[in-house]
This record gives sequence, C-alpha cells and structure tokens, in this order.
Amino acid sequence: MPTVQLFITCLTDSFFPKTGEAVVNILNRLGINVEFAHEQTCCGQPQFNAGLRKDARAVAEHTIKVFENTSGDIIMPSGSCAHHFKHGYIELFENDNIWLPRTKALADRVYEFTEYLVDNLNITDVGATWDGMLTYHPSCHTLRGMNIDKQPRALLQNVKGATLVELPNANECCGFGGIMSVEHPELSAEWLKRKIQNLDETQSPTLVVTDAGCLMHIAGGLNRQKKKQKVFHIAEILNQR
Amino acid sequence: MSNLFFRERIKESINNPNLQTALDNNTERRLRGRALAFESIPDWRERRQRAHKIRADVIDNLDEYLNQFITKNEANGVIVHRAKDSKEAIQIVLQIVGASHDSPKLVAKSKSMVTEEIELNHALEKENIKVVETDLGEYIVQLRKERPSHIITPAAHLKKEQVAQLFHEKLNIPYTEDIPTLTATARKILREIFLTADIGISGVNFGVAETGNICVVSNEGNARMVATIPPVHIALMGMERIVPNLDDLSLFISLLARSATGQKISVYTQLLRKPLPNQTRHIIILDNGRSRLRNSPLKESLYCIRCGACLNACPVFRELSGHAYIGKDKTIAPYPGPIGSVISPGLMGENFVHLAQASSLCGACKDACPVDIDLPKMLTRVRAGKVNSESSSVISEGAGLNQLTKLFLQIYTRLSTRPKLFAFSQAFASLTTFLLSPFSQWIHLPAFTGWGYSKDFPRFANKTFRSQWKPVTLSETKGFSQNKRDSSVAEKLLPQSDTNLIEQFTKELTTVSGNVYQTKNFQQDVINFIKSRNINKIMLEPNTLDESLLQKANIDFTYDDDPQIRLGVTNALVGLADTGSVLEADEALHPSLLPEIHIVMLKSKDIVPSLPDAIHLVEDKNAAVFITGPSRTADIEMTLTIGVHGPKELHVFVDVSNSG
Repeated sequence: MPTVQLFITCLTDSFFPKTGEAVVNILNRLGINVEFAHEQTCCGQPQFNAGLRKDARAVAEHTIKVFENTSGDIIMPSGSCAHHFKHGYIELFENDNIWLPRTKALADRVYEFTEYLVDNLNITDVGATWDGMLTYHPSCHTLRGMNIDKQPRALLQNVKGATLVELPNANECCGFGGIMSVEHPELSAEWLKRKIQNLDETQSPTLVVTDAGCLMHIAGGLNRQKKKQKVFHIAEILNQR
Repeated sequence: MSNLFFRERIKESINNPNLQTALDNNTERRLRGRALAFESIPDWRERRQRAHKIRADVIDNLDEYLNQFITKNEANGVIVHRAKDSKEAIQIVLQIVGASHDSPKLVAKSKSMVTEEIELNHALEKENIKVVETDLGEYIVQLRKERPSHIITPAAHLKKEQVAQLFHEKLNIPYTEDIPTLTATARKILREIFLTADIGISGVNFGVAETGNICVVSNEGNARMVATIPPVHIALMGMERIVPNLDDLSLFISLLARSATGQKISVYTQLLRKPLPNQTRHIIILDNGRSRLRNSPLKESLYCIRCGACLNACPVFRELSGHAYIGKDKTIAPYPGPIGSVISPGLMGENFVHLAQASSLCGACKDACPVDIDLPKMLTRVRAGKVNSESSSVISEGAGLNQLTKLFLQIYTRLSTRPKLFAFSQAFASLTTFLLSPFSQWIHLPAFTGWGYSKDFPRFANKTFRSQWKPVTLSETKGFSQNKRDSSVAEKLLPQSDTNLIEQFTKELTTVSGNVYQTKNFQQDVINFIKSRNINKIMLEPNTLDESLLQKANIDFTYDDDPQIRLGVTNALVGLADTGSVLEADEALHPSLLPEIHIVMLKSKDIVPSLPDAIHLVEDKNAAVFITGPSRTADIEMTLTIGVHGPKELHVFVDVSNSG
C-alpha cells in the first residue's frame, strides 16, 4: 500500500482546510496512506515570484529538509506550488552543487493532486456525484506550467450527475498572480472582471479550480460583486458522494 | 522603489475606451489567426524546439557567426559597420547620409525596431534630414508624433476614426473612414517618397551567416522599395539577428509570419545578397547592450525573432498597449510586452526593471513564443535583479517591488522557516480576521491595500488543516497498479502529397487574393489578358514575353524602370505549393514591385512543395524575393486591405504544356 506525503500548501492550510480534508479522504478511499509532515510551511513561491531570491532560498531549503526526511510521492492540491517545486527550486539552486541534486530528487517525487490520480494511479473516476452544472477554470501554472489539463477534465467528466460546461476563454489568467494582484491591482481587476463575465456566460453556479490562489481571488471578486456563484477546489467536488 | 508612475499610466490605458476596444480587437484576431496558421504545420512543436536550439547555438557562438556573416558581405560588395551603442550607430548613419543643410536629404524608412531602440528618426531630424516612415502603421504614428504601440502593428492602439481625422488634418483629404481610401492616400504620397528618396533605411529580420544574405520581410512592399529603389540602402540589424544558413532560415520563415500575423508566409520575403547595379548597401550591426545581455542570466531573451506573438498573447499588453510600458524617467520602453519587460531592462538597465513586476507569470507568452523562450523565468530573473547593469550600480532583489510588499514577504520568510511560529501566526491571523469580520467569511478591505481594489479577502479558517490533522492508518490494500507517467506520443507528420502541387499552389495563392490560371498557350494567354485590361505599355523582365508577339498585339514595352507603367510581367524561378509563393530575382525585382498589376509566368514543373525545396536557389542571386499574393496591410483596425505599396493584383499563369 503506497504511502504519500501531503504538502498542504500555505493557502489551503490557512484558508481552505476542507480542501485538504477532501484530498486526504479521496486518497484514503483509494487505499493510499497519507502522511503529513508537521514542519512544512510554505514552498516560498511568493518570495521567488517577487524576485526575493534570498528569502525564497531560505524557505526552499527549509521545505527540502522537511521532505527529505520523508518517503513516498509528495502530493499537493496546487499546480502552482508543484510548479515551484519542479521549476522554481531548480532555478534557485541552478549553480549550487550541494542543493541542486537534493532539489532534483525532491522534484521527482512531486505531483499535483489530479495529475497523481490520473497519470500515476490511472484513475479518472473516483465515484463522485454532484447535482448540477460545473465549469472548469484551468489555473495558469497547472495548465501551462505543469501541462496538466486533461487530468482534471477527465475527473470532472466522470462525476455522476454533473454537467460539465466549457468556460469561454478558459485559458486566460484570472488575474491573481500572487503578489501581482496587490502590486498591480488595476490590471488584476480587469482580468478578474473578464473571468467573472465569462463565468456568467456559462450560467453555471459552480466554478472548479485546481489552485487555492485562483479560488481566493475569483471567490473574493464574486463576493465583492454580490454574485451567487461558488468556487470550489476540484478535490471538494471529487469528494462528494 | 515605487511603481506609482507606472500604475498611473496603467490606469490611463484601462480607462481609455477607444484603446481598450482596439486592443481587444488586436488580441482576438491575432490569437485566432495564429492558431489557424499553426494548424497547417502539425509538426510545429518539433520546429519550435529546433528553432530554440538553433538560436541557442547562434547566441553561444555569436562571434564566429558574425565574422562569417561580415566576411561574406564584404566579399559581396556590402559595406559593413559595427556600432557599439546607439550614439555610434547614429554617427555612422549620419556619415553615410552626408548631412547637408543646403540640400536637405530625404530618407525613406521601413519599419525597424532597432531604429526605434536607438531613436534614429529624432537624431536625423535634428540634422535637417527628412525621414519618412513608409509602413502604413508606422506612417500613421509618425504623423501623430507617437511611438509605435506594437512591434508588428504600430497603430494597433488606434481606431479608424482617429486615422480618418489625422489624414484629414495632416494630408488635407476630405474626411473619410473608408480604409481602402485611407490606404490609397498613403500609397500615393509614399510612392513619391520612394522614388525621390536619397537613402532607404530598413531593418533586418535575419542575417544568414553562411551566405551573407539579409532577409527583410514585409506585407506592404515598402521594405522592398526602400531596399531596392534609392541609390543607397542602409540596413540596421541587432547583432543577434543571425541564422547559420539558408535551411535554418526557411525554418524561421515558417515560424515568423505564422506567429506575427497568422500568415503562412509574409507577402514579401526578401533575400538581399549583393547591392543592385548603381546601388550602395551598408549594413550596420548594433550591439547597444546585447553583448552585456548575452553574458547575463537574461541571455535567452536574445533568441527572440521579434514576431510579437507574446504581446498578443499577454493579458498585460492587452490592457496597456506599448505606450504604457514606461521607464522611471517616463520614456516609453522601445520594446513592449513580455519580451520587452525582459530586454528593455536587459539592454537599458534600471530605468525599466519595474516593468517585469507587472505580470501574473501566467505563461501565455512562453506558450506563444515560436522559439520557446522561457519568458516567465526571464521575468522572475529581472525581478531578482539579475540584470547586468552598464553602470556599477547593482540592481537589488525584488526590483520594482513596493517597499511594503517587500517587508511583508520578508516577514513571511521568517515565519515560513519557523514552523511553530508559522502555526502560531496562523492562529493569530484567524483571530484577527474573525474580529475584523465576525459575521461574514469575507472582509471588505479598502482599495489602497491592493487586495481590496476589486475583491474581498477571505477570513482565515478557524482551524487550519495542520491543527486538525489526524493520521489515518489504512489496513487493507486495494488492488491497483501505479503506472509510469504516460509519455505523449509524438505527433506524426501529415504525409506530404507529391501530386497535385498545382492545385495546392492555386488554393493557397487564391486564399491570399492572388489569381492563378493554367494555360497551354502561355505567351498568347498572357498577351490576351494584358489586352483585356486595355493596357498598352508594360514593364518586362527580359526573356519573358516574345517581343514580336507583343508588337503584333500593339503592346509597347520596356525593360527599364518606369513608375508610370501599370503592368509588369516576370518569370518565376519557382512556385511554392504550400504557401502559394513565387520566387522572383534580380531583373524581375522592379517589374514585380512598381506596377499595380503583376503578371507572373510560372512553369508547372517549377512548382515545388515548400520553401526548404527552393531556398538554395537564392544563393547566386543578388536579390531575390518570395512573393505571396498582392501587397497588403492590416494596419488600420486590423482590417485587411489589398494593394499598399506593391502591386494591387497578382496574376500567375501556370504553363501546363510541359514544354521546356
């Protein structure tokens, strides 16, 4: 029976613990042991993206040390954090003979949640049910950074009772971009407006994402605009029975 | 460092409805066009990787390739100059132009980003030299005293009403929003400029190291005019613009137009080797920070082939247009969009570093890049201050970041490396946000916080995931196997048909507004066509139409340039089936450019499948051009308009008699 490590991600941990529970429930149901290393915090992507490499390294080194002491694949409910493990860390330690091999060994164990289910476990139906329409927003780092798109879509296709409708211009960024949404709120707001208009067009009451970042951003925008649509992480949909 | 001045400019752009409409149009049409154009090369992913490798090799071995290129050009009779910076480049141009206050010189210019980079026009005008931009979009922005807002479509920010008003005011024509009329007006005025200019200045899309050819592409035909009509041609090129050989060039040509304008190939792909008779050609190779960039972590940005695809794909550019990418000194960055936010600071240093912060790192640019430049990675490097600055001043990490953001992130680093403190601060944040908003999951933060500008902030969860974690031990094993990651099957190339080349050629050329006729009576059918158009004098390439037949038909002809003549006849060296292009060279250059109607005589046996099958034919030609349809532009509101500077009609007669 495989044992995996859960990297919860700081946003999911702090804001959306239910997503984490859903991930664990689904994996458990599939017969997978989930371990949680308590020393984990954040992957350091915010610092990295902002250009604060010294800070990003400090957090990365901490995270690498935490997971080096564990075994099994490392699963995370975020394509964005997975992307940072696999690409950002390599960039950070590119010229570091000591840390680079450690980083690469870690990167090889990292999977985004839906990627793990579909590509590694070969499972596209987790026995979930949902009543009503769903539409999917592919997060930039999941879609383009990790090249993960067919996996979440396949999983959603197999949710019983759900009608999956295509979000217009789905591949456009929602405007979160981490720190960017604070540094350049005017830009961020325009993209968010467009994303919500596209969501309105689908008439779906439910938007599904693979990243807590997009979730916070789009749901925050919907609440500000007093709209009724709800945004869920895919794990919460897949956990419905 | 604050980015407030930049944010002000961003707000101006967002609040300009004309600009937003124009930008939305640009984005939507360009993205659709590009996607369609790439469907015709199913192996594009493989091509893109090949192109990336070639560019990497060129940049790694740039000195050798440049030496090869320069040696070839000098042997070909071209005068080559090297300029280490914009000042030197301008000096060289001024020397060639020979500034004289008594008889002001006239310069006809085709679009060149390098001349924008060194602000050449401004420098020339100061010396009393008249410079006229001849690309329609560039002409429009020059009349408005603006800089181009897009590297491919300089007037992408304008609506036709604005162009109509501009032409009405500056060119004294009755107000009209009819785009063909506006285009025809520019054609008439600029034709005079081409014919009387002392000097033509163009950019260079690619320099071919092995042969010395320079490749200059255009759709309107203006780049052909400036490179072949005035007695002096100056070509300015960035030093990185090299490809090793003609085979590599044909790969890049297959990617460039598809990425830039959604065309399979530009209307005119010029390959210039030797100066024409009675012409002097200078090539100025510009460094201007490129050597520094090459030795910096931003090296990969030199792989860029200036197609503009990353601009069209970029959600930031879509809101801003090129005019909002401003430096600390409020000057407009020469290169906008994602690539600009890397090379503007890369070439010009600290003034532009903050631009890289305006990105969500969404990766749409990398996806669109035909040479697979990892632009998000480059942007994070600029943010990390990894810019080799000219001055000794070191650019700090977090370049362009708000001080408060920086402080917040530094505190977050401290928490993130101390798990207990991290958990404690989560509990603290949970309590704080609960007190701030006891009755709602959401907090309405004020706009100045950034977050509160357009969205609410979620309350921290009462209990974090980690605080609730209880390990579950599973006892029974469920049977499923772990698969290896599936490796995607490489896309197979569509089989290349070796038959029906004529039909494919006809279909492609017809799509881009050319006409194709199959004939078994080549000479007579062409003459009949000329007569049907009531034309009694034509321009000829030698060895095309039989002189005695022409005399019998009462058609006067000349082998010399005569801009008054409305029809030109040339032979094609070859036709390309997959793009509908014909290859013209040397004595065919002007009969295929100056008249309004261009007739091409092509033998069916000379139609080959694709550009790589024909590119080597240019090796012994002084100048050659692949022509794909009549001259065209989409510079006003992206509306396709036929007949700008080159011919308005293209008629290809294909000889299917198989004689000779």
